[in-house]
Amino acid sequence: MNAEMIRQMLTPEAFAATAPFIALCAGILLMLLVEILPGTSSLRPLVFLGSLAAALGFGWTQSQGGETRVFAETYIANSITGWWTILFVAATLVAWLFGRRYYKDESVFEGEHDVLLLSSAAGMVLMAGARDLLVFFVGLELLSVPLYTLSGFRRSRRESVESALKYFVLGAFAAAIFLFGSALVYAGTGTLTLSKMGAGALLQPITIAGAVLVAASLFFKVSVFPFHLWVPDVYQGAPSPVTTFMATGTKAAAFAFLLPMSLLLPKDATMVLALIAVVTMAIGNLGALVQTDIKRLLAYSGIAHAGTMLLAIAAQVSGGASASEATRAIVYYMAAYVFTAGGAFGLVTAMEGRTGRAVTIDSIKGLAQRSPLWAATFALFALSLGGIPATGGFLGKYLVFSTAVEADMIGWAIAGILMSVVALGYYLRLIVAMYMQESTSVETNLESRPWANAMAVACAAGVIILGVLPNLLLERLG
Amino acid sequence: MDSFLNLTTLVLLPLVGAVLVALTPSNSTQLQRLVALATTVATGVLGVLLCLDFDGSSAKAQHLVQTPWFTLPGGVPVHWRLGLDGLSLLMVGLTSVLGPIVVLSTWGHIDKRVKEFMVWLLVMQTGMLGVFLSLDLVLFYFFWETSLVPLYFILGIWGGERRLYATIKFFLYTLFGSLVMLIAVIWLIQQSQSTDIAYLVNYGGKLPVDQQLWLFGAFALAFAIKVPLMPFHTWLPDAHTEAPTSGSVILAGVLLKMGTYGLLRFCIAMFPGAALVASPWMMALGALGIVYGAFLAMAQTDIKRLVACSSVSHLGYVVLGLFALNEAGLRGGVLQMVNHGLSTGLLFLLVGMIYERRHTRALDQYGGIATVMPLYAVFFVFAVLSSVALPGLNGFVGEYLILLGTFQASPTIAVVAVSGVVFGAVYLLMATRKMLFGPVTHAANKTLPDLGAREVGLMLPVVALCVWIGVAPNMFLDPMKGSLADLDRRLVSARSEARSVQLELDRPAPAGLVAQEEAR
Repeated sequence: MNAEMIRQMLTPEAFAATAPFIALCAGILLMLLVEILPGTSSLRPLVFLGSLAAALGFGWTQSQGGETRVFAETYIANSITGWWTILFVAATLVAWLFGRRYYKDESVFEGEHDVLLLSSAAGMVLMAGARDLLVFFVGLELLSVPLYTLSGFRRSRRESVESALKYFVLGAFAAAIFLFGSALVYAGTGTLTLSKMGAGALLQPITIAGAVLVAASLFFKVSVFPFHLWVPDVYQGAPSPVTTFMATGTKAAAFAFLLPMSLLLPKDATMVLALIAVVTMAIGNLGALVQTDIKRLLAYSGIAHAGTMLLAIAAQVSGGASASEATRAIVYYMAAYVFTAGGAFGLVTAMEGRTGRAVTIDSIKGLAQRSPLWAATFALFALSLGGIPATGGFLGKYLVFSTAVEADMIGWAIAGILMSVVALGYYLRLIVAMYMQESTSVETNLESRPWANAMAVACAAGVIILGVLPNLLLERLG
Repeated sequence: MDSFLNLTTLVLLPLVGAVLVALTPSNSTQLQRLVALATTVATGVLGVLLCLDFDGSSAKAQHLVQTPWFTLPGGVPVHWRLGLDGLSLLMVGLTSVLGPIVVLSTWGHIDKRVKEFMVWLLVMQTGMLGVFLSLDLVLFYFFWETSLVPLYFILGIWGGERRLYATIKFFLYTLFGSLVMLIAVIWLIQQSQSTDIAYLVNYGGKLPVDQQLWLFGAFALAFAIKVPLMPFHTWLPDAHTEAPTSGSVILAGVLLKMGTYGLLRFCIAMFPGAALVASPWMMALGALGIVYGAFLAMAQTDIKRLVACSSVSHLGYVVLGLFALNEAGLRGGVLQMVNHGLSTGLLFLLVGMIYERRHTRALDQYGGIATVMPLYAVFFVFAVLSSVALPGLNGFVGEYLILLGTFQASPTIAVVAVSGVVFGAVYLLMATRKMLFGPVTHAANKTLPDLGAREVGLMLPVVALCVWIGVAPNMFLDPMKGSLADLDRRLVSARSEARSVQLELDRPAPAGLVAQEEAR
């Protein structure tokens, strides 16, 4: 590829398609500039929010428009990538706003923290738009490397360092698998761009082997069995704002690419995928049942939710449910999840930030009396995670299982949906602790953080709006 | 009727009340109670007015309100569609009437976290009305599952000692059934491309019987757990015993009826072919429940648990009547839903009132209450007589129709069920004797104050209804005529279809074909 070809690719459409990514990159550069210029540190939040707002605006524009393919079809912008961008921005905002004043010892590095967060968000945007394994890989690394750093951001804490190390080692391993898989796919098809892979080439054993490896490394990112083992430890050890971001954003980004990528998998993979999905749900839910640390509990619940969404992928691979239907289900599910899990992890962040101790079932006992707003919103998030109607979680669940039924996977759907009963077992335990048990802790009122209060209300509003007015999003998903 | 006074207002009014209660300052409990009472009274009046303005000869849904809500993938529109028909009429009336009574009953026993309680109570009212009035499958499911949440809180916060166990058991148990139903709902919507219950009723009847049976099974599981039918009943005694009085009244009065109502509206009306196949099994389960529940009740030493077990027995009658699948059975079944709500609700209210005074539910702690609290005794005996179906009171009409219908369908099962009537009289009258009559054996009982004006006042409407139904049952039975006739028509056509299939199968293969086969 020579300079002339590159120049030809830099069309206005290309800029329009990558505008959210460019906005975030510009934000990163500006933030770094603000860091080194003296006396400008008060501008930092402004730049951070400004670049997110710009990305949000561009994402919104994309979500309303048609489809453009740029850079030799390796990158795509359509209404779905637009919505993904909006979700990534939302996830970043939720994590960042809940995390205000969370860091005490490490406050010196707040600038770095925000820069890394933005880089990670930029990586997500790239992942969602990528239709080429290499472009995706760049996005994946742009997402992951800052997250390794962020996980270890509380250097003085052993768990944080442990979390970073675990995440890094396993993440690097997954990246290697991804690269090896891409190499095999290239060997089989002669290209890395999804749209250029011929249907015949896809059925060659070498391509399938490559696709399976690529899928496996994505399973690592979305935390699906058997690649889920890192999740509880990393989520628990990482600083809570980072956990919030990881739980919502990373999962969304990986699913954003898994959706088009899974079309490389042969139809025969349906059963395996469905089995993995149901086993993941079982492991996540059963694991969560015995947790006492809320972050760990939510981590396991996140595994279960990844399993649920994987069922829609399986339905898509089987050919029984159309790709657009599976996409719609997963985007909706993730949208609800960003507000629900984001809100739940966010409240954990806020509580941890106030007390400086890990949040456990014991420590939230009687929360309804001490902090009614936090308890009420947390209860709402728990019910939404459990998929009770009038919350976004229910509709997400409905849509995902609807794709599975459409694909005639009724047995799998029933097995999966019954996992919700197990899941409610621990979600209800949270509500029991907050509402039905007496407080054992000394802290009286925790709600002295206006940002956290506002975010809790905002996330709760998001959950309810997605639950009772689904058309606001559903209709726009094509 | 005025355009504003429609079913949407009826369903949403309690929710508005809940918001109002939530906005009151948290220490003014009296204000919260009054707002809740005013809301339920307004809801009750509106509900009864709408029920009175009903043409019973038609099977059509009346007061229909319908606005598009959202579109499912595949382009199936989901509507906010509410309507009143003969199947839901009595349930809506019952829910409306019980609302203020339940709020009034909380004066005595809910004194902590009153605000939260009233909020949940009102949310619950919306959920229950929504379940009965929804004529859209998704909307129905929406209300069906949401209505779990308020009771979960009511049980868990204001319940007795083992409340956490009871509330989680209740929630998970009922959720289990609902989720299987959800898959059936999804499948049905995808096949029919519609969520309109009126359309689905026609559609479901035309499905092949084996498909109907699967759907029937999935729906019936959810409803059977809610009712609860015999092998699925274990959550109920726990929930009832641990619930505060008002929770028990709602549970017995309305919530359990959601199960029987679902059996009627979905299992029978939507899948008549399957209902015919399953009818003997469901009737057997119903009859078994009657006898088993009665024996359970006989063994109880806790008066509240006794009433709870009697619920299992009485709801067995309802299921029995419905699945007799004939006119008498259906009429009796629906009427008995109301009867059970009234008489068992009354019993729970009475048990709660004595508990507020004595703080024990053990039967052997009582005795001779009639001499100390004569007024209480009058009401208690009335409730018991209504429960054991004394002629002239409500229970008699319902049970008589049910047994008549059952006898027409299966005399054997009718014999088993009749034995339940006897057992029912035994345990309830035994309990009455232990509680009310004989000498006062415990010193603490000697000073119990008799019922106050509020307590008498809140029970009087229920008593009046019991007598009214007993004396003039046709006023309550006639409005269902249109809907039940329509249901009957479906059952008849399903029956004749089943018969023709059977004939097809029984007919020997044409001789020529057999010969050809053999020649090959």
